[in-house]
Amino acid sequence: MNIIVVENLVKKYKSLTAVNQISFSVKAGSIFGLLGPNGAGKTTTVECIIGLMKFDEGFVEILSLNPITDNKKLYKEIGVQLQETSYQDKIKVKELCELFTIMYEKPLDYHRLLEQFGLIDKTNTNVNQLSGGERQKIAIILALIANPQVIILDELTTGLDPKSRREMWECIKNLKREGRTVFMTTHYMEEAAYLCDQIGIMNKGKLIAIDSVEGIIDKADIDITISFETEDDVFHIIKDELNKKINKIEINNTKVKIYTKSEDVLTDLIILLRDKKINYRKIDIKRPTLEDAYLKLVGKEKETEGNATV
Amino acid sequence: MRRFKKITILEWKLLTREFITIFFALIFPVMMLLLFGSIYGNEPNEFMNGYGTVDVSTPGYINMIVAVTGLMSLPLTLAQYRERKILKRFMASPIHPMDILLSQIIVNVMLTLIGLIMLIIVGIIVFDLKFYGNFFEALLAFIIIMLSIFSIGLFITAISKNTRMANAISYIIYFPMLFLSGATMPLELMPQTIRIISKALPMTYGVELFKGIWLGDHLIDFSLELLLLGGITLLFGGLSIKLFKWV
Repeated sequence: MNIIVVENLVKKYKSLTAVNQISFSVKAGSIFGLLGPNGAGKTTTVECIIGLMKFDEGFVEILSLNPITDNKKLYKEIGVQLQETSYQDKIKVKELCELFTIMYEKPLDYHRLLEQFGLIDKTNTNVNQLSGGERQKIAIILALIANPQVIILDELTTGLDPKSRREMWECIKNLKREGRTVFMTTHYMEEAAYLCDQIGIMNKGKLIAIDSVEGIIDKADIDITISFETEDDVFHIIKDELNKKINKIEINNTKVKIYTKSEDVLTDLIILLRDKKINYRKIDIKRPTLEDAYLKLVGKEKETEGNATV
Repeated sequence: MRRFKKITILEWKLLTREFITIFFALIFPVMMLLLFGSIYGNEPNEFMNGYGTVDVSTPGYINMIVAVTGLMSLPLTLAQYRERKILKRFMASPIHPMDILLSQIIVNVMLTLIGLIMLIIVGIIVFDLKFYGNFFEALLAFIIIMLSIFSIGLFITAISKNTRMANAISYIIYFPMLFLSGATMPLELMPQTIRIISKALPMTYGVELFKGIWLGDHLIDFSLELLLLGGITLLFGGLSIKLFKWV
């Protein structure tokens, strides 16, 4: 079942088309991640989905509701964390949680949530005195008080230190384990690769790829890199024996790098080096990551548009 | 309604934690009263048309409190809530940010009333402050003054792009109003030029109106002031409704 359906969504700001004809759907119980550089249109997409912004063309449905006309009904059912939200000056954790508790008909007990997120001893602390990671946990807790089926997270981990970021990842994994659907945007490839079942990559308002992590990496069609170090001259040996399977050899002093699509090259290479009695060390294989795929896909898009912006 | 009450109570708690607002709304007016009261006393005085200085000044100080809550506290808090995307966060929840705006108006009205009551109590105890008017007329005048000043405050938030801009506009409006409208010092003590400038400040009419009612005149005697204050409310209130953005 699809929890979110977006078809041919278009949102324009005066002359700029922030979101240009994008379509995707999010399955119940999955984590969907929207990736893209700053200004790609991720937040605009999020705000169209949750009815904070009116769009110009297309169709959006979330929990079978129209986000514009049924928005108050929708807000009882979803939990959101918006980008760069902060809170009232001098408001305490407890007060903020109580405020969100009274908004909903069947709220979750916020004490239990604070406990679950390890913030129970911060109940009486000023929200503005919490660390960045703690504040983002509060943002999730506030989103969860509604006991929502769907959680929308817009750049939840931006600006957090690596440790807090990893803690947030576990929180998000837990949301999925509880059967909730998560729709998130992020800058961090590692995060998307670790968490998301489906990834959409946006650039300049367009959705340039949508697939599982593996699917995106396959689509980018990037070589595996095998590298090692040796004192011997191996260029011709490798070239003669493995030429059919490899795309490129790079040799820089003692460092050798082989680019290929086939992982079998590693086995062949080791056998070859042993047969030829060549001493080697630090052999390593690097498969393309989501980040490699992302950079290639986003970079390609820039080239074809012909007016790259940084 | 239960929700709105809770939100209002929370906003009230948060307001009472703002030291500067509390100081200027509650403590500063009392300090002014004590200072000028102890200098001039409250004996009937020919210069004040036979009234005591404290009797004439207190209605002005009450306008000063309205200026603090309506031109500083309300617009700056709302501008900050908008800049911090607090209002936007509430848009994506079952309550409407309008609830926050209304509760902000209510808590600032409450603070104004507390300031007014404190000032009157200190005035009575220390200077034998006297009220010569009609209570209901004074209440009505007070409401009219608050409506006009609060609508200017909302207008400040409506036209400000961020908190810094709201701050700048608030200060530019607040300080001249405070010192040149007769709110802090009776205009009778001011030179002619300042009296002319004061004619351009909405609060001057609030001070004139409230002072008049306080000293026993009637609303009917202040048609110009009422018309101007009503016009200000309609104009700035209308513009605020038209221009106000939640995000």
